[in-house]
Amino acid sequence: MKLMQGIRFLGEWGAVLFGVGFLAPLIAQSMDALEVPAPFGLSTIAFGLIVGPTAGLVAKLRGSWV
Amino acid sequence: MSAPDASVESRFEGMTDRQLLREEQAIARRFLGRVPWEMVAWGIGNFLVWLSLWPLVLTGVLPLWLGFVLSTICCALAYLPSHEAQHSIIAAEGEKLRWLNQLVGHVSTIPLVFPYGIAWITHRMHHAYANDPERDPDIGSQGGSWWQGAYNSLRERQPMNDGMYAKTLRESDDPNRDRAFVEGLVLKLVHFGTLTVFAWSGYAIEAALLWWLPRHIGFMYLITFLSWAPHHPMMETGRYRDTRAWQSPVGTVLSLWMEFHIVHHLYPKIPLLDTPKAWRALEPILIARGIRDDRGVAWAGEDVSKPVEEAA
Repeated sequence: MKLMQGIRFLGEWGAVLFGVGFLAPLIAQSMDALEVPAPFGLSTIAFGLIVGPTAGLVAKLRGSWV
Repeated sequence: MSAPDASVESRFEGMTDRQLLREEQAIARRFLGRVPWEMVAWGIGNFLVWLSLWPLVLTGVLPLWLGFVLSTICCALAYLPSHEAQHSIIAAEGEKLRWLNQLVGHVSTIPLVFPYGIAWITHRMHHAYANDPERDPDIGSQGGSWWQGAYNSLRERQPMNDGMYAKTLRESDDPNRDRAFVEGLVLKLVHFGTLTVFAWSGYAIEAALLWWLPRHIGFMYLITFLSWAPHHPMMETGRYRDTRAWQSPVGTVLSLWMEFHIVHHLYPKIPLLDTPKAWRALEPILIARGIRDDRGVAWAGEDVSKPVEEAA
């Protein structure tokens, strides 16, 4: 039962977790590599942590990344 | 794939369905029973090459761009050895080499994050109900052109999408279904965990270009050649109509021998690399059986499901 709940949670929130766990640092490190500064005086990782999970949330609400 | 020779079909004229089937099976039997060692080497070798890319790129021995290209090729090559295992071609249940069959099945699809147990269940349903819109788990790759098929399949594969794979697994009565679920969960967690750990350790771009992106590109390549092209337009069902004979614009090897996929659907235990010669032996009788022969018809960008007069 707990396993099924865990699977369901990952299925439902997987996109947001992916946004935090992978997209955020990917965005930050890509910006660093391309020497693109984050807006509003933010650090690139702070910017990634805003954009990554937001993109994940949008994907969750839309039901698709694409 | 060469054009059919109509003259050889005449020897099948006047034969009953049963006689034709018997003849067809007799020909097919000649290609059954071999252990495809090349697929064992392909499956395990491809996985090891893909695995070795990580230390080679992270230690700077291999440039990242080359690692990305090689990883994408590895992902595109990752499915077919497991596919041989799904059909127990390497070794059937109870045979001495069964462990090798299962090892190849499990290991080769790791770069694709496609669990063997789930592939096993869904692929069987694909064979049983190919092109059935309600029951074929691969129907999600249907599309008027190859790129529409690849895009539709990408949408179908979205993790939050309750698509045909989820439906097939939910409705499956396969005794190994729960185990396949757990396997799938573990593989997904390993994938996500690896990407996350690498990303937060300062290697996000490397993780993206060694696994995340190659996996998606590899899947799209596989869907195009293994699912879309041989079954397009996925409108007909039945033994001789759900898969077509077609001619690949990029040749046999780059299309992963899928010009001969019709042989696989008729005789799933013929090893992949034997399907071209099996096709050559079976071609006249299969033409007589009324298979879909789309050789000479544009494979991409044209909806061949439309009648000629409508398309004109």
